[in-house]
Amino acid sequence: MKNLLIIICLVLASTSFGRPISYVGGHTLMANSSSQADNIYWHFTPDIKYSLGVDYQKDKISDELFASARFTYLLNRKNTATSQRNLYLKTGVGLNKDSHFYGLSGDWETRRLFIGFSAKQQSGLGYDLFEQRVKLGIAPYLGDYGDLHTWLMVETKKNDLDDQRITYPVLRLFKGGALIEVGYHRKTNWDVHLMYRF
Amino acid sequence: MKNILLLGLLFTSVFSQAAHHEMGHMHSHEGHMHEQMVEGKSLAVDPQRFDNFVATLENSKIAAISVQGMVCDFCARGIEKTFGKDTSVSKIDVDLASGKVLLAYPASAEINRADIAQKILNNGLNTTDIQVLQQ
Repeated sequence: MKNLLIIICLVLASTSFGRPISYVGGHTLMANSSSQADNIYWHFTPDIKYSLGVDYQKDKISDELFASARFTYLLNRKNTATSQRNLYLKTGVGLNKDSHFYGLSGDWETRRLFIGFSAKQQSGLGYDLFEQRVKLGIAPYLGDYGDLHTWLMVETKKNDLDDQRITYPVLRLFKGGALIEVGYHRKTNWDVHLMYRF
Repeated sequence: MKNILLLGLLFTSVFSQAAHHEMGHMHSHEGHMHEQMVEGKSLAVDPQRFDNFVATLENSKIAAISVQGMVCDFCARGIEKTFGKDTSVSKIDVDLASGKVLLAYPASAEINRADIAQKILNNGLNTTDIQVLQQ
């Protein structure tokens, strides 16, 4: 029953800002759901500079299913005693359709503050799409290792299909290896992101 | 309306969690191993946390590692997983607040600082200092 619930959650569950590269040898399973697409994405980190993954997406605009192989490369990382900054190059090629995407994403994070951005160009979905996202977050309390960690966030995104910027609140919760992120906007409805790192 | 109620409930739970964290982190201070000088420097760890860590240990060596970039639970979890696979490590403590990792080894173990630093790097983090002391 538990497994069924997890699978349902995964199937119900958009590209967000979950760390696209884990620790060496680490696996990450993500599930996303937005007004544009539902997808499940698994990646493995063989080296701290890159991750390899497979993504299965149901595009809600073209109503088609896309499987793709994904590669994420860490372009730059800067660690300090209180912060981490990352810049990633993300790419993907279709396995069952002639589709591909490439994008750039980055984040800067302390235990209290988070700033992230992404820009992504997608082609071959029956349409082309360029999307930009920016996310700002603050942790209302500083949890210790193993505690429930909470982020109150605001995300703004724009793509060239709608050509309209939408901004909405996002709640991020994570504990142990599991993360859930939920955003809501009256125009695009719920944006859900689930992640499990193992 | 349902959505507003749901969001309200979520944010209420967040702030009650925040209030819980603001309350009491009272600890007693017993044991003074943390006051030892290690390689000419004081041991840069949270005293209470260190005392709790060594309380159940006997005849051990402890490596106190200062780490940069350890800002989230996921980073810390990776460290625990990585060192958890090292059979010579008997106990691990990760302190997000101070960016410190404590590792316990048997007293007879040889501690390889380069290996520790590489394992930390494999988690995307940097090691700035490793202090080793004998219990």
